[in-house]
Amino acid sequence: MDLLAFARGPGMQWATAIFVAGVLWRLVGVALLRRKPDLSAPRVAAKWKGLRLIVLRSWPRKEFLGGTAFTEVMGYVFHIGFLVALFFYLPHVLFFADVAQGLLGVTFKGVFGVAWPTLPGGIIYFASAVSVAALIAVLVHRLVNPVKRLISNFDDYFSWFVTIAPIATGMAAYSHIGAPYQTLLALHLLSVELLMVWFPFGKLMHAFTIFAARGSTGMLFERKGATL
Amino acid sequence: MSATAADEKHPLELEGARVSVKKPEVRYDVQGEMSEAERVARAMQNFVKDFGRTAAIYMESCIHCGMCAEACHFHHVSGDPRHTPIWKLEPFKQAYKREYGPFAWIYRTLNLKPKVTVAELAEWQELLYDTCTVCGRCSLICPMGIDIASLVSQARHGMFQAGLVPHELWAVAERGAREGSPLGATPKVFADRVAWLADDHEIDIPLDKPKADVVVTMSSIEIMKYPDSIVATARILNRLGVDWTFRTDGYEATNFGLLSGNTAWQKKMTMKLIDAAIAAGAKTVVLPECGHAYTALRWMGANMLGRPLPFEVQHIAEFLADNIRSGKLRLKKVAKSVTFHDPCQIVRRGGAVEAPRIVLEALGVELREMEPAKGLNWCCGGGGGVVTIHRADRLRYKVYQLKMEQIEKTGAELAVTTCANCRQTFDDGQAHFKSEREMGSLLELVAENLSDGE
Amino acid sequence: MNPAKTIGERLAEAGVSRRAFLKFCTALASMMALPPAAGPAMAQAIATRERPSVIWLPFQECTGCTESITRSHTPTLESLIFDLVSLDYQETLMAAAGHQAEAVLAAAMKENFGKYLLIVDGSVPLVEDGAYSCTAGRSNLALLKEAAQGAAAIICVGTCSSYGGIPRAAPNPTQAVPVSAVVKDRPIVNVPGCPPIPVVITGVLAHYLTFGNLPELDPLGRPKAFYGETIHDRCYRRPFYDQGRFAKTFDDEGARSGWCLYELGCKGPVTYNACATLKWNAGTSFPIQSGHGCLGCSEPDFWDRGSFYRPLAAADWGSAKTVGAAAAAGVALGAAAAWAARRRQDRFVKEAAAPADRKPEG
Repeated sequence: MDLLAFARGPGMQWATAIFVAGVLWRLVGVALLRRKPDLSAPRVAAKWKGLRLIVLRSWPRKEFLGGTAFTEVMGYVFHIGFLVALFFYLPHVLFFADVAQGLLGVTFKGVFGVAWPTLPGGIIYFASAVSVAALIAVLVHRLVNPVKRLISNFDDYFSWFVTIAPIATGMAAYSHIGAPYQTLLALHLLSVELLMVWFPFGKLMHAFTIFAARGSTGMLFERKGATL
Repeated sequence: MSATAADEKHPLELEGARVSVKKPEVRYDVQGEMSEAERVARAMQNFVKDFGRTAAIYMESCIHCGMCAEACHFHHVSGDPRHTPIWKLEPFKQAYKREYGPFAWIYRTLNLKPKVTVAELAEWQELLYDTCTVCGRCSLICPMGIDIASLVSQARHGMFQAGLVPHELWAVAERGAREGSPLGATPKVFADRVAWLADDHEIDIPLDKPKADVVVTMSSIEIMKYPDSIVATARILNRLGVDWTFRTDGYEATNFGLLSGNTAWQKKMTMKLIDAAIAAGAKTVVLPECGHAYTALRWMGANMLGRPLPFEVQHIAEFLADNIRSGKLRLKKVAKSVTFHDPCQIVRRGGAVEAPRIVLEALGVELREMEPAKGLNWCCGGGGGVVTIHRADRLRYKVYQLKMEQIEKTGAELAVTTCANCRQTFDDGQAHFKSEREMGSLLELVAENLSDGE
Repeated sequence: MNPAKTIGERLAEAGVSRRAFLKFCTALASMMALPPAAGPAMAQAIATRERPSVIWLPFQECTGCTESITRSHTPTLESLIFDLVSLDYQETLMAAAGHQAEAVLAAAMKENFGKYLLIVDGSVPLVEDGAYSCTAGRSNLALLKEAAQGAAAIICVGTCSSYGGIPRAAPNPTQAVPVSAVVKDRPIVNVPGCPPIPVVITGVLAHYLTFGNLPELDPLGRPKAFYGETIHDRCYRRPFYDQGRFAKTFDDEGARSGWCLYELGCKGPVTYNACATLKWNAGTSFPIQSGHGCLGCSEPDFWDRGSFYRPLAAADWGSAKTVGAAAAAGVALGAAAAWAARRRQDRFVKEAAAPADRKPEG
């Protein structure tokens, strides 16, 4: 079995299984922990309104902007670049369509009436390049900023690596740089699989936990009328 | 060690600008006799003992973005990366992963997160106590929405049981649990003081009425340092014609069990208030101008009792605001410009944002808000027990300067707040910097300006 | 047949002009990515050489490869190829049959032992000592082993002999294997494709005649000159791929406009072959040009790599069943972890119940 066949077949299957199992393991492992009810008399009865923090916290208050602007902007840039490439590049869309078909038996068009849009390769390539540049910038910032350097651990650097690797290999595969396409495609897939395998165990899980954390705080604070 | 011996070893200092134990010549920042292994085990166990789903999801969510450093007044003035709020939890993050998280078994089996050492915990004592007022400003910046301040409180549970509390904080907390007040305001002292104040000011101060609609509590800082608050409270409540009382079996609203991290002491202190209020058949318990007292009873009291409280809990400012809104309380206009310092536990974390402003509006003052104000305010630097710790002074004064600059910028004639601990932090800061400005009490300002028009 | 004459002499006898031969060699050279000057050199080398004996053995195959070579598109190639080599045994094309044919084979193998080129199309079944495919009562396996001994080199024509091909497709009842699985001690060139492009076969032969050795091969044993690039790389529809213009069905506007067939399952991006440049039927067209995605027929196991109409990007991530199993495992592990955490917590509560008021000591 060649590298690509492994990456497309068993590699992808194992990565998918580990991703799904790991994510649920972590989420269920937290969800089933004890939760003592808060018996205090709420100031605001409709505490669910605090869920607005999920959206609200997406941008810092103006009071905090000064020192966080770089982290915020770079964070947005690399996330958006990454997500554009992930969700609007045709081969990726076809992959997700295949997963949706296999898991739910539906197509996007069948549900929403219109096909999931895709973007030309050039735009995807540009978005990827921007994302890579921003990721490099945040890595440099992590290395030179005293706060970030102190609080960083293996998870931070490895998660950075498994994030930039699929973008970089994807760009290489797209432009056929450095190796035969099949090898590059295999490397791209393997890097994605590495990302999927690492995802549940490192900080990348924030993609899921962010909603629970923000939502929990939002509801707890809203209940007290505290500042969100 | 007998009570007397403890008093000798940790004598109180009640005359200075702040009330605490005297600056110790030899610091005892490690308590109890335990093996190092036991100390570490107790720290870890007591940290996760009260852990729930919410704290766990916080622990799972940190992405090490470092933004919380921007929100922290201690980091702001020191620039020390160790003062990054989430870093203050580092050993406890490890403890969580190793002892409690969904992958705890993997972490333990593969020893991926090694057990923390006593040396590390001792190093973190400064970070968890001296340089954190649990003001919760960091909780507002975290892009993941982690309530970092709540985790610091949990970490203090571990630190206390590991015997790693700063000398002075331990001493006042221990005294509080033993005597019923951390600063020597024992029931006898309190009763004496009330009697003396009643005589002195020719005012009726009901004490230990068996039944009353309103049970009023005090903080030991007020009892020992700002007794005018007691008079002011009595004057207002009497004017309102409320059926109220102080009770010697439940008057001390401060809770150094909460601040130091001893949950048993916290519960003991809180239950005194609850039991006294229930005994008096109170409909309302009024909390004094004290920040953490609000957290302890208003938001944690019912959870200590194990059922919803059979009475309403109000901070004095909320009580005043309610009576102003209902028209019962009328005030004279004060033709002055005032800036208001928002106590973190009452405003940012407690949610009583508007009540003090309603009171100020009724006083007709020109309110000049600080920048930032309300929930985003800078903490005075003395909360969370920090003001008791002499070792923490150097940095605390720098934090205080930050606050002071804010106040000066408003150009207001008066500065008031509604937390006695903030007030003493200001007094101490002003004494240190030999400055004249006073931090007034909202309560006293109201008492001084009761309208005679009825 | 008298192999003693040189190829040049034979060509002259057959009326092929030197100019025509030179042209043929130049064309071959360019196909093989050799410099233009190699053409005359090739002509010189080939013309002065004796025709090598070629033995073509068909195993588990469909004769498609033979069909393909008979449709060589260079007009003179068909004849040329038979003038360049002495095709001593080719069951489909030869006039002889039965015992006569077997005698020819035996004679060719004996006379040219160690020198003949062995061409194989079809895979070799192993089950029951190869009983599933026999010629004149002998299994392919036995015949291959014997024929390989005297072969100077083996050219595997088609995906079956190169990689097992369709006979090897799951569940592979005959245990079909490629030639390379049976013969380990002879140089082998794989010319995969189902069928392979005819000029690629002649190109490999020409290379052998010119240089007396085999062309440079890639890791899958294919001549790099023809299999060095993917269909996708050289596809005339590539610009549509880059622009994100795709046919969604075989009869939509995109398909009519000649947009990229990636979404319809084209395997061009992962198929190394020369179809997009050399094309088929005298350079007329190739599958994508005719409106159908590439099947990837020259790649190993192409038959088992999912539907031809499934987009390449739809990798084998598993199924609802496997993902469901993983989800169940994850939930179970999470529940177990939470249960363990609660138990530890209970223990800690018990242990922490020890008296808390400790005295400060130095």
